[in-house]
Formats: sequence, C-alpha cells, structure tokens
Amino acid sequence: MIERPIRIAVDIGGTFTDLQVLDGRSGAVQAWKTPTTPEDPSIGLLRGVTEAAARFGFALEEVGLLLHGTTIATNAVLERKLARGVLLTTAGFEDVLEINRHVRRELYAVDPDPFPCLIERDRRLGVAERLRADGSVETPLDEASLPTLLARLDALETETVAVCLLHSYRNPAHEQRLKALIGAARPELPVSLSSEVSPEIREYERSSTTVLNALLVPVVKAYLGRLEARLGEGGFRPLVFLVQSNGGVCSLRTAAEQPARLLLSGPSGGALAAGRIAQLLARPNLVAVDMGGTSFDVSVVQGGRVSVVTQGEIDRLPVRLPMVEMRTIGAGGGSIASVDHGGRLTVGPRSAGARPGPVAYGRGGTEPTVTDANLALGRIDPEYFLGGAMRLDMPATRAAIAEKVGTPLGLAVEAAAQGVLTVTNASLGAAVRLSLFEKGLDPRDFSLLSFGGAGGLHATDVATEMGIREVIFPREPGTLSAYGILYSDLVQDIARSRVLPAVPASLGEIGALLGALRAEADARLAQDGVAAAARLLEVAVDMRYHGQAFELLVPWGDVAAPDAAALATLVQRFHTIHRQRFSYADEAEAVELVTLRVIAIGRLPKPDAAEAPPAARPALKGSRRVFEEGAWRDIPVWDRDALPAEDRIIGPAIIEEAFATHWIGRGWAATRAEAGALIARRDA
Amino acid sequence: MLGPIEIEVIRNALTAAAAEMDVTIWRTSRSTIVRELLDYSTAVFDAEGNNLAQSARIPSHLNSMSHFLRELLDKWVDPESWGPDDVVISNDPYCGGQHLPDITAFKPVFHEGRRIAFVGALCHHIDVGGLVAGSYAAKAIEIFQEGLRIPPVKLIENGRRNEGVWAMIRQNIRKPDLLLGDLQSQIASLEVGAIALRRLAARYGADGMIEAGRRILDMSEQAMRAAISRMPDGTYEFTDWLDDDGIDLDKPIKLHVALTIKGDAISVDLSGCSPQVQGPTNATLASSNAAIMFAVMSACDEPFAANAGCYRPVSTIAPEGLVVNARHPAPVVHRIAVTHRLLNAMFGALHQAVPDRIPAAYYGNSYVCTFQTVAEDQRREVLVEIEIGGTGAHPKKDGVNALSSGMHNNSNIPIEMIEAQAPLTITRYGLLPGSGGAGMRRGGLGLAREWRIDSPRCFFTANMDRFVHAPYGLAGGGPAAVGRLVLVRDGVESPLPPKSDNVPLQRGDRVRLETSGGGGFGDPARRDAAAVARDRALGYVA
Repeated sequence: MIERPIRIAVDIGGTFTDLQVLDGRSGAVQAWKTPTTPEDPSIGLLRGVTEAAARFGFALEEVGLLLHGTTIATNAVLERKLARGVLLTTAGFEDVLEINRHVRRELYAVDPDPFPCLIERDRRLGVAERLRADGSVETPLDEASLPTLLARLDALETETVAVCLLHSYRNPAHEQRLKALIGAARPELPVSLSSEVSPEIREYERSSTTVLNALLVPVVKAYLGRLEARLGEGGFRPLVFLVQSNGGVCSLRTAAEQPARLLLSGPSGGALAAGRIAQLLARPNLVAVDMGGTSFDVSVVQGGRVSVVTQGEIDRLPVRLPMVEMRTIGAGGGSIASVDHGGRLTVGPRSAGARPGPVAYGRGGTEPTVTDANLALGRIDPEYFLGGAMRLDMPATRAAIAEKVGTPLGLAVEAAAQGVLTVTNASLGAAVRLSLFEKGLDPRDFSLLSFGGAGGLHATDVATEMGIREVIFPREPGTLSAYGILYSDLVQDIARSRVLPAVPASLGEIGALLGALRAEADARLAQDGVAAAARLLEVAVDMRYHGQAFELLVPWGDVAAPDAAALATLVQRFHTIHRQRFSYADEAEAVELVTLRVIAIGRLPKPDAAEAPPAARPALKGSRRVFEEGAWRDIPVWDRDALPAEDRIIGPAIIEEAFATHWIGRGWAATRAEAGALIARRDA
Repeated sequence: MLGPIEIEVIRNALTAAAAEMDVTIWRTSRSTIVRELLDYSTAVFDAEGNNLAQSARIPSHLNSMSHFLRELLDKWVDPESWGPDDVVISNDPYCGGQHLPDITAFKPVFHEGRRIAFVGALCHHIDVGGLVAGSYAAKAIEIFQEGLRIPPVKLIENGRRNEGVWAMIRQNIRKPDLLLGDLQSQIASLEVGAIALRRLAARYGADGMIEAGRRILDMSEQAMRAAISRMPDGTYEFTDWLDDDGIDLDKPIKLHVALTIKGDAISVDLSGCSPQVQGPTNATLASSNAAIMFAVMSACDEPFAANAGCYRPVSTIAPEGLVVNARHPAPVVHRIAVTHRLLNAMFGALHQAVPDRIPAAYYGNSYVCTFQTVAEDQRREVLVEIEIGGTGAHPKKDGVNALSSGMHNNSNIPIEMIEAQAPLTITRYGLLPGSGGAGMRRGGLGLAREWRIDSPRCFFTANMDRFVHAPYGLAGGGPAAVGRLVLVRDGVESPLPPKSDNVPLQRGDRVRLETSGGGGFGDPARRDAAAVARDRALGYVA
C-alpha cells in the first residue's frame, strides 16, 4: 500500500509543528519545523508539508503515508472545549460519574477541589434496566419510556450521548438496543457505548472513558473533516493515520469513532522513538527521560519493549485504554527555586511556564528557575539560545538568583545556582530510580536516553547520581516524538472483561470470547487496508489471585483456540510475573481471568534510514567560561552536527546543536554512534 | 559542616528512602487490606527516634510512629542491646501504639559502629485474633477481646528469626499465612530503607547524617513556628460529640478542645473530654496526637516538610483515663472514630483563630460495615465496605460531594466487582440531596448506598457514628444531615443499630446507608443567587 516513496511524520505541539520526512528511495531522514496554527492545526500541518517539499525536493503527490500525532483531543479536554453531552446510566446509578473513586490526593488540603466531572447531574439520565454480573437480565430495558427520553435529549440540546450501563462489558444488548432506538429517531446524534469504547469491568472507569469519548466525537470529527478537505490540494493524497495512546497508529475512521484513543498520545512518539533507538543501538534496556519546560517524564524500555499499561488519566479523569507507561514529576527548565521560612531550598513543583518563563527570557519573570541556574553557571550560551533565536538576560538572571536563593541561604550566586541544579538532579534521579525500583529493576542494567529541550543539561549528572554508566543523546532531541512516529505500526486494542476462574472448565467460554475478539481484530485491520501477511495478533490477559482487587497483564502470544495445556502455560506465566513484580507467587491459590485482550498489529514497512554525514565545518566551536567544581573555567564547546565519528569528547564539555545544549560532566566521555546518536560513557 | 544544599539533598534522599520502603511493601505484601486499601506507612527516624521523613498514605498513621518508637526507647527496649540486625515489633496501644491490627516494625541503622537512624514500617493487618474475624469487634469491653497483644519483642534477633515469637503469633490469628506474609514484607522494607541510609552515610559519614537530621528537624520546627506566629494569640474552645460507644447507648461522648496559641507555640488541652468508655470507642495518645498534628499542620498557611520538628511547637495536655488517653485495659479498636471527632473539634477551635482558612465539619466518621454471606453450600464470602460522606464548606468554596476526608482516605469498591464476587446486589448508589449543610457556602453531599442480600443467610456487622450528632456548620452555616441505617425487609423499613456485631439477614433483605454531608459555612441568606439556582437545577438540595 506504500508505493509512493515519501513518508511524513507530524507531531503537532503547542508552539511548533514538527515534521520528519523519510525518503524511501535514499533512506534520508530530514526534519522540519513550522509554527503551530492553534485555530486549525491542519493549516500549519499542510504548510509544514509544503515547506518541507520545497526544501527537501519532493512532490506532494509522492507522499504515500502521513502519520499524524495530535494533541487536539487532549487540548479539547484540558481547555474544556467539548461538545454538549448527556450520559445515560442504569437508573439509580446516575451519580457514579460524580462520586468517582472518592480518594483525595492532597492529604492536608483543607479546601479540596472536586474531581472534574464532565457531565453535570442534570444531564445524567437514568434508564430503567438492570443486568446481573453474569450478563443475565434482572430488569428488562424499558423501551416504553423512549419518547420521554428523546424529549429530554432534545430539551437538553444534546450534541452527543454517552451510554454506560452496569455489567454491559458482560452483555452489551441493552446498550446496543438503546443506540439503535436513539439512532432510528435522531440519526444525526452520535452515541458512544461503553461496551464499544472500553468494555471492561469497573463502572466508574468505564463511564469516565465513555464520557470523554462521547464529548470528543464532534470535536475530533470536525477536525478530521477539515484535514480531509485539505488532502488533495496540490496532489497531496497520502494515507493518513493518527497516533494513539498505546504507541501505535489508527485509521481516520477509528479516530473519529473512538477519539478517546488519542487522548494520551503525547508520550507515544517519545516512547516509540525509545523503542526504535533501543533496536538500532542494540540497547534493550533503556530508561527514557523527557525533560521539557514544566515536566520530567520517565518511561522504560525493557527487553526491547516499551512498557504499556491498561489505564491512564487526563486531568485526574481515568481513561481505561492501553497507554505507554509514564511517570511524570513537575520538574523542568521552568521549575521555580525558592527558599521557605525555615531556610529550606525547594525547586518546583511551581513552574514559570512559557509565560512569564525564566527570568532570563526577559518577559517579566522574577523568580529564578532551573534554566536560569544553567545560564548563570555558563552552561547555556545567552547568545545562542534556540540557535540564537532568543537572547537571554544574564544580569537579570544573576540578580534574581542572588536575591531569591543566594542571600536567604548566605551563598554566592554561583554556589546558589549550583545548589539549584544539585537539588534538581537529585530529585530527577529519585524519580528514575523509583520507576525502575517499583518494577524490581536495577538502574545499573540500564542506559539513560535523554531528550526534550532541557534534558541534555542534566542527563550525565542524573546518571552519575543513579549509578548509570551510559547516556544516549538521540539526534534532534526536541523533535524526537516525530521521529518515533515515523516508525510506528497500526495497533488496535480490543478487550472484553469476563471474570472467570483459570480452570479447564472455563475453556469453552474463553475460546468463544477469544474467537469473537480475534475475528473483530482481523476485520478492523482488513478495513484499514492491512494485507493479511502484515497482520499480527497477540493475546494478553488481565489476571489476579481470587480476592485481589487489581490485575497483572499477562501475555499469551498468538493463541486462537486454547486447550488445557495453553491455559496451564498462561497460569504459570502469571505466577512468574507475579513473583517478579511482587516477590512471591502462590501456586495453590485460585487464579482468575478478568479481561481478555487482543492486540492487533498491522505492520507498516520500515525503510532503513541512511546515516547523515557530519557537517563540513570545524567541530570545535570555541570555549566558554563555565562554573564547574567550584571555579570558573574555560570549557570547550563542540558543534554536534560537525562531530566526526572518531572524536571522543572528554568532559567537562558542552555540545551544542540548534535547539538543545548537552552538558558532558566530569568523568564522562562522549562519542558519535549509529543513527546520529551521541553516547556518553562514564570512566570506570 | 554541611551547607543548605547538602541538607536539602539529604532530606530528599530520606524521603526517597521512605518511598522505596513503601514500594517494597506494596510489591511484596499479601493481604488485600495492605495492598489495595493501602493501609500502611513507612518512615525514617533519627538515632533518637524522631521522625525525619515519611511516606504516609493514611492520615491516622501520620506522625504516630515517632511517638511509638520513642516510647519503646524510653520504656520497653534497651537501646544499648538493640543491634543492627534486630527487628522489634509491637502492636500494643499501651506501649505507644494505636490499636491491635496495626503492627509496627522498627530497626536501627548503624554506620561505622554508630547508630545513625531507625527505619520503621506500619501495616494494618487483616486479622489479629479476638472476638470477631477482622479483629474489629464493636462490642468488646476490654482489650483482651480485641486480639493478640504483641509486646515490644525482637521478631528478628542478630539476623535470625525468633521462632518462638513467630509460632506464638501463628497460633493466635485467623489468617496466619497472610499476616506472616505481610510481616515479612515489613521486614524486607526495613532492609531496603537501611540500605538506602547506609548508602547516604557512606557519602556524608555518621556525623554528617546526625547533623543533617538535627538541622532538618530544626528547619521544619522553624517553619512551623513561623506559621503559628502568623496566627493570632488566644485560647479557643470547641466541643463536638460522638453518639455513643455501642454499649452505653444514648450516652454521648464529649470531645472538648481548649487550644491556646501563644507566640510561636500551640498547646492543646483535652482535659474536658469524656472519661474513657466501656466500648472500643477509645484512643491512646498516639492516636489523639495524630489528629492534633493533622489539624495544626492542615491549618498552617505554608506547606513544609512533615517531620518530628513540626511536633515541637505543639503540646498536648491529656490526663490518663479520658477517651483520648485511655487507660489499660480499655478496648480501643475503633480509635478512628475518636480521632475523626477530635479533628472536627480541633478545626472548630482553629476556625476562631484563622476563620478564613478552616472549613466546617466533614462527615467525621468511617462508615465501616461487613457482610458475610453464606450460600446454600455453606460457601462464605466477606465484603468489608468503608463508606464516606461530604466535606465541610470552606470560607471560599462549597464543600465537595462524597470525598474521603480527615483521618482516613480510602476508595470505594466498584459495584461490578462486588456483584461478580459475592451474592450481593447494590440496588442504589448515589449522592444524597439535601445532606449538605446550608450556608453562603454549601456543605458537600453525603451519599446513599443500598445492598441486597442474594444468599440464604448473611451476617452484618457495623461500626458507624454521626447518627445523632450532626456535622456542624460555621459562621452561621447550617449543620449537615445525620446519617441513617435501615433494614428493608418485605417492604417494611426498620432502623439498624449503627454499632452492632453479626446481625442475621436473609435473602431479599436490603440494607440502606445514608451518610452525612459536610456542614455549611456562612449565612445561607448570603448565598449567591446563581449558586442557589444551580443547586436546585442539579438537585443538590432536597
């Protein structure tokens, strides 16, 4: 399906739209950046593609594949630019969405905010019906009340409907019947069923996911409509896929019906890139850290696979759909350093954000940030920030650090700035350590993959803190997401909950359910145009010991009609994973299946990228006064793009590129490696 | 001499050590109560037993472990013979603990032959023997009925298991594999903490660790004193009530607080509280102090590192023999009720000092109930539910509907999970209109939950409060509604006693619980018209 040779990955962020262009003929990968157009991101997308075509010399009709990462769904939720929806529930349970799980997050807060609830109480309507846990009907669906229901929907000016009935993961009949009845009477009204969006046990999480989906349907449909209208201009007619939260892409049709699958797609690109780099550099164990202006995101690649979880959240709202596993702490370049009344220095979680931003930006920021500390110590060049696009205000930065940190602590400016970095790096290190520790993994078995605008300044120091001996700086760390997207596959997750004992007597039911899920998965891939040879199905099961309230995800391979032996293998694997993660297993204990999952993968071809040669200019740019180990010293500054493969950069050193600066700490030495990556190693 | 940067790095590392200990328990524990209700805490202490950092998940554990450890060092364990490979455990409220289900384990950490710290881990265990399964008897009248009392004893001595102690525990409890499994995970967590501390000590030395500990405590004390100084001096009194102790019905229990702010210190006089009661609604000082510290720290206007330095400016006067400082052998298992109400009373007093900061009363109660279903084939399933209510209105905000507040913090159990596992059907679950107190700011709503018995027999146990004494409003705001617990049998409603053990139920019976909301704040007449209209549109008011 990909005969036209150009493949483009687009990652639309808040400020910039990043493009990566792969030419299948030469293997060349090139990057382009253009400002995002928030009013309609498809404008910026098309402009970026047109600019890239002119710059890199290809024709729009040569573009066969457009892989599109978008925050349109995420932003719509965060900014509450959502459709007017109604939630239909089993009568008597209209408040499940508002009560949620009722645990508070701030233990000491005396004025807690309620958890967000996207559909208010007067728009949650009960429907008389009730299913039992085994799917049998206790109270039939009251179809006679349909006219009243329709009148309510009209009166509430409903633009979209979410339906979540108790036990519908077990028996979708009532939900489907409601959809049919509403569809017959109001064909224009989109209806999202929980049994289609997230057919998993736990009514609150399923409701939350279904509501998010329903409220996004009109928003995402409108965007995709605008995008499709632009396709065709100038012969630009690629096949378009959208990046999902699970680290794969999906078709436009899937995205329009199930936009909740796009909600947590932000980290997907970075994680995909981490997976790709793990493969290219033969480093199966990577801990990937993405440090930007406000946050520090940690994900883990273990044995070459990106770690995925079955639930995520946005703005405290759970999304029960698979997503890349991510630990986020509020530490970034914009994190604010301050001293409290007890004389304690803290960094973050308050952030100066992009506005006013660090003091150095000269946009009215008065509180010193991590970026300011880096500048004050000379690690960032005030004349070459963002490749020289912005000049930084060194005097204001030093004054702010002196006033807000140095004076209260009785420290000189340099010691204060160094202190801010020391405290920051220690807490970044603790976050990485905990991400590995909770999986029972040892940091010394991992390489650190550092990206994001601010990552390079901290990576070697964080690694030193943790006992990690190798740091990888991928090429173009600021647009790594788009690079990851370039190499994605189609991934469809299909799940269904069924609480069953893991014993041979359940095999009939398991087999029937698996058959149905596999058939659906296969049909979906076929519908998206994936040839049979490129399809791959994997089965996984959420399992637990009887009595436990949470499950472990256990892979089962490409199983179709399991027999007793296959089930025994699955149970054994569960015990093994349980032991690995929780340090014990009890083989005498009854094991349950809770949710069956089929992961359907449609493999997209992955042309190899050619290695870009070093730029033909001197690698050493000069030197800069940097405060290091208690003194101002001349530290060499290197041009990353001009580094030849044989050079070995001994720390302390600075390596610069257009949108990032990398600090190579004392005791570290960096060399250029495959795929344009830079690898720093610590001396023995 | 360490600089301020090193101090902050060490402080963060101590917190990270407590977090790694926490993850260890989560990863290795066996019982649902520990792993899913997350009813455990871990902490790091200095060499004298002062809490330096904690990873506390449950407010009632916060700030109570240091008290326990210091009691052990003062009275029960010879510090000189407590070596680096000795783990001491105890659950005894009369040796500094809270109640018998909470077993706490401590271990000292040494560097270069000097004791530099302690690490501790507390778990709520699923059963420690006694009158009823779960060791939560509502009708106990002395601690001997509440389960196995473990005095401070070395569970591990010189790195080896003290087998006699393990056997003694095993013989006296209902679920030995779970309890001993959880104990092992506590021991594993202590080792993880000790390793983290020794790693730090290798960098900063024994002297550095001790100096850092001292300064970390001093800094929190200083921040706390500064925050207290910003509150106006004076003595502020407040009284709230528990309905009864489950034994002497109709005899309310008084929680009276006289709180004096003077300069940078607070003293809390509890002398006006009721004498200890017959039933298990009593608390020892460890519990009462947890409520007092929680109240004061919540009322401060600046967040600071929670550690034993914060305790120094706060003193408590509580004569022995009161409900807040019970004397042996009073039963104490339902101490959470006392701490909830003490917190309500503390906030009532603090409101007079900092009226712009303190909310009206939250529901102030853990609505604990247990259903033990018995099927035709005698198969038993046990469901333990802990329900919650609404939060009190804040001077600047309405209260929150149905939010776990105050001394506990637990989630609900999904209806679909309950019904998939036990012969029970939830026939209603929703907010309770009108249950929040009226006011310029409205109190959050409580909720209603109704269970139907689908098995031939079922035994129901409950331990709840706030059925007579409503959560109060402040500054002219109205009180919240009181709770209701009713049995619906053959269409007829009758009240169920909220503190009861093993009430027999039958198929088709429905138990309905209605919980309190939070109190209102300010004169209801001053409530914004748009907010009134919204309450009506959303059905938040009856």
